[in-house]
Amino acid sequence: MAGRRPAPAALLVLLLAAAFAPISSAVRPVSDAHRSAAAELFAPSADGSFGDLERTYEAVRTFQILGLKYKSVTGEACKFAAEKLASPASSATKDLFHAARISGVLGCSVDAGVYDGVVARLKAVIKDTNSLLEFYYSVGGLLSIKEQGHNIVLSDAESTFHAIKALSQSDGRWRYDTNSAESSTFAAGIALEALAGVVALADAEVDPSMVGVVKNDIVKLFDTIKSYDDGTFYFDEKHVDATEYKGPIMTSASVVRGVTSFATVAPGKLNIPSEKVLGLGKFFLGIGLPGSAKDCFNQIESLSFLENNRVFTPLILSLPSKVFSLTSKDQLKVEVTTVFGSAAPPLKVNLVQVLGSDSKVITSENKELQFDLDNNVHYLDIAPLKIDVGKYSLVFEISLKEPEHESVYATGGRNTENVFITGLIKVDKAEIGISDNDAGTVESVQKLDLLKDTKVSLSANHLQKLRLSFQLTTPLGHTFKPHQVFLKLKHESNVEHLFVVPGSARQFKIVLDFLGLVEKFYYLSGRYDLELAVGDAAMENSFLRPLGHLELDLPEAPEKAPRPPAQAVDPFSKFGPKAEISHIFRSPEKRPPKELSLAFTGLTLLPFIGFLIGLVCLGVNLKNFPSLPGPAAFASLFHAGIGAVLLLYVLFWLKLDLFTTLKYLGFLGIFLVFVGHRTLSYLSSVSTKQKTA
Amino acid sequence: MATPRRVLLLLLALAAAALAGAEEGPRGRRLLVLLDDLAVRSSHSAFFGSLQARGFDLDFRLADDPKLSLHRYGQYLYDGLVLFAPSTPRFGGSVDQNAVLEFIDAGHDVILAADSSASDLIRGIATECGVDFDEDPEAMVIDHINYAVTDVDGDHTLIAGDDLIQSDVILGSKKIEAPVLFRGIGHTANPSNSLVLKVLSASPSAYSANPKTKLASPPSLTGSAISLVSVMQARNNARVLISGSLDLFSNLFSNRFLKSGVQKAGSKKRHERAGNEQFVTETSKWVFHERGHLKAINVKHHKVGETNEPGMYRINDDLEYSVEIYEWSGTSWKPYVADDVQLQFFMMSPYVLKTMSTDKKGLYSTSFKVPDVYGVFQFKVEYQRLGYTGLSFTKQIPVRPYRHNEYERFITSAYPYYTASFSTMGAFFIFSFVYLYHK
Repeated sequence: MAGRRPAPAALLVLLLAAAFAPISSAVRPVSDAHRSAAAELFAPSADGSFGDLERTYEAVRTFQILGLKYKSVTGEACKFAAEKLASPASSATKDLFHAARISGVLGCSVDAGVYDGVVARLKAVIKDTNSLLEFYYSVGGLLSIKEQGHNIVLSDAESTFHAIKALSQSDGRWRYDTNSAESSTFAAGIALEALAGVVALADAEVDPSMVGVVKNDIVKLFDTIKSYDDGTFYFDEKHVDATEYKGPIMTSASVVRGVTSFATVAPGKLNIPSEKVLGLGKFFLGIGLPGSAKDCFNQIESLSFLENNRVFTPLILSLPSKVFSLTSKDQLKVEVTTVFGSAAPPLKVNLVQVLGSDSKVITSENKELQFDLDNNVHYLDIAPLKIDVGKYSLVFEISLKEPEHESVYATGGRNTENVFITGLIKVDKAEIGISDNDAGTVESVQKLDLLKDTKVSLSANHLQKLRLSFQLTTPLGHTFKPHQVFLKLKHESNVEHLFVVPGSARQFKIVLDFLGLVEKFYYLSGRYDLELAVGDAAMENSFLRPLGHLELDLPEAPEKAPRPPAQAVDPFSKFGPKAEISHIFRSPEKRPPKELSLAFTGLTLLPFIGFLIGLVCLGVNLKNFPSLPGPAAFASLFHAGIGAVLLLYVLFWLKLDLFTTLKYLGFLGIFLVFVGHRTLSYLSSVSTKQKTA
Repeated sequence: MATPRRVLLLLLALAAAALAGAEEGPRGRRLLVLLDDLAVRSSHSAFFGSLQARGFDLDFRLADDPKLSLHRYGQYLYDGLVLFAPSTPRFGGSVDQNAVLEFIDAGHDVILAADSSASDLIRGIATECGVDFDEDPEAMVIDHINYAVTDVDGDHTLIAGDDLIQSDVILGSKKIEAPVLFRGIGHTANPSNSLVLKVLSASPSAYSANPKTKLASPPSLTGSAISLVSVMQARNNARVLISGSLDLFSNLFSNRFLKSGVQKAGSKKRHERAGNEQFVTETSKWVFHERGHLKAINVKHHKVGETNEPGMYRINDDLEYSVEIYEWSGTSWKPYVADDVQLQFFMMSPYVLKTMSTDKKGLYSTSFKVPDVYGVFQFKVEYQRLGYTGLSFTKQIPVRPYRHNEYERFITSAYPYYTASFSTMGAFFIFSFVYLYHK
């Protein structure tokens, strides 16, 4: 696993640098922003509590340091702490420790009797335990109770001191208990704080040689400190994948707490380099606004320890603004304050060097900044420095006026700050024109005013050239070379071509020889819109200006010419409703008008009527109808059958289908054949008789 | 005495829980957050906090955690992925680029944030999602006109973006007034990919280049072609948000504690705070399907005047079709109101395409006449709207021609033929008497 992650610590450092360098890469003292951040992060829940004891302590302690109002939660928190303190036997030392500290911060009124019980329990724990955390909680709890005005004396301070010291390692780090093999930097901080507590609680002075050994340990511990390039120092564990890994903020906070507490109680001065203390201050301020409550507490508490300690008080040099405008004649302002933003002792700030963006020394004249007592700001006019627009590194040197302060305050000597000087860039002598390829004679040159939108219209063919030139001058009269100088040609079909306009010592000039560019332009003739973009970080009047358009006449594309790239399809085109479709039905067949059909119906009836009239005229009779009852009956049945068949046809037309009709027709047919045969044979026999008679 | 009451209470509680849990959202609530440094957890805690406040269950892991796994026994362990590990060269455990893409293919949602340290792995995932980051590893988006004015930052890489996509469903109905701060790398949407949408675009004066070196050749990405934040909704409705800036999500950028507020260069207006918090909250709601997820239920069709669904229609029948469409609002299914839901009656190509009318309570209906073409048709609803999940459902239905006895029977224009035959029959009947019995 270690092989797969070759340098986890190095990687982490890199990542931390990225994580802690957002907007405010600048180190600024604690401000109101931190107060509102803390108020937000430690917002009590609806019932006025902050959660568990540890979080409650962190909340009230942070509020205390930042001077925020916490009176509204005092009652709740005191009650919460008192509940724990009332039953010392059943509570963990950790809870007693936090409860005692909450009472200390809030000034809760706790009975002396209650504290007696807690003290007895904590003292018992100190005697028995060999765990660093138990020592830390017990000693811390006792110390907090003592600070509240309770008289506590740790009689066997010497042996407790030895017990804790026994856990230390040769490199200045500590183990959590005698059984654990892992040592940790976080534990070192805890141990130092516990030792400081023991010294404070001791009835007699602790053996000075032992204190000396611990001081030595602290120096060793500071040898393991890690740093960034910009003079920021922090503590972190050696092995980041250890089980008890806390992260750099918690680890550094623990060490700062331990070392400063120990320095307070131990006689003499600790031998720690001042720049490391200053670096720690920069580290905690560099976090900016913390994201979590835990980080906020650690940041604010560590800074408060750094603000008041016997080692060194870091003085932070910071710039309220890092962008200075030559146009508005900004003053270079520098603040030197403690981490909480309170005024520094009398001191001088000198600007010793100005470096250009490529680390070239621009000026190394030593200039002292003037001090504005009212605003606590050191200032300097930029104009006399004769610095042009651009990006610079300014090197400041802080020197304390009174020599005895040298051992109290850590100033770090030289401080480097990166600043931007911005100004208005003069744009003039802008010209645009078309020239012929061979002669180079400029046919049509138009002057441009790049401060306003212009609308030139040019036309050219592939044998001509487009020229564009202009000058950029800084406020101090030098040629200015911005980062962004683009000429964009945009065809009607959205094909864009971008050119960087090259700058020489005197002017910016681009010549587009269309003969060489036809392939690049995909042989697309037509209207091109011209756009010029000039911009730079130091340029206050960066602009993006349409210049007009160019009618370009390019030759026909040969067959193998490259095709223009596909333009992105509009992703919105697939959304939105589609056009409605309705089905076109087949039109019904054409029919004659109803009247015509009825008229023809009448006409078709005429032959039938004529037939009837004809019969009447002929004088039709039915004298041949059989007179005998038998044959008469068969004849009647025969005609009734014919009538039935015809009626069946009518029914077929009206409602019956073919199959029922055929069925009935079958029965009727058989019947008709029978009665028809009888009738017709009778009729024929009668006629034969008559003929033979 | 006390026991039955307690049982009753328990039952009531269970019933209440069942009721509360009755509305099941379209997505689960387990998110895996991959970080390349646990410090991001605190520096971006406001974003994570807003996710947790909305009920998501976040599992924070280091991207190179060797125990990392997206699924176990064929089941996905997470419903969404937040990839805040721009610089990680490879993931730990069984997770790799393909695993992430399969995760998306399985219909899960991803938020991916890169920055200038973006690794090939992260770029690869983005490319597969149709987004190409600038290939120059040193490049950042620079805009000398539309940058955010700050006291400490002078190189104009802190972009104040306000060219947002016009879509209430992606960005919420409340307009984002303040500019969205962005510092990071630019990307373009692949022109051949129609699923990617630019949510936050750069201004025409922006370009992507290394701010520390002079430009020799024109930068590959310029102007409003640069996308700062893009989203992709795959065909399976998996949603992916890709941002070129991890800081965009950070507490600092969305923080209200920026002393001086946010001001865009050249504009007089100073905003109390950046639009980032609103932007990331609203877009994350969209990505994790708390908004813009549609479902269609109760697809019904029947003949006009009937209520039963037939197995088949006849040509020229009049029919009614209805469907109910609901949108997930994060807590419940609310009726979806729109006036552009269309129904197709489809066989090889749409024969009828009609916009359905709505009762504003989620019910969409329409009626039309079945075309006079028989065959196997489909009722087809294909609903693709910006930001919404696609709805696509079909129902097959055969259409038959007229039966032989369903044609028109007594046609006036045929009356001459009828009378002709019947008068002939009548004449035959009379003639049979005359012929047989005349003397």
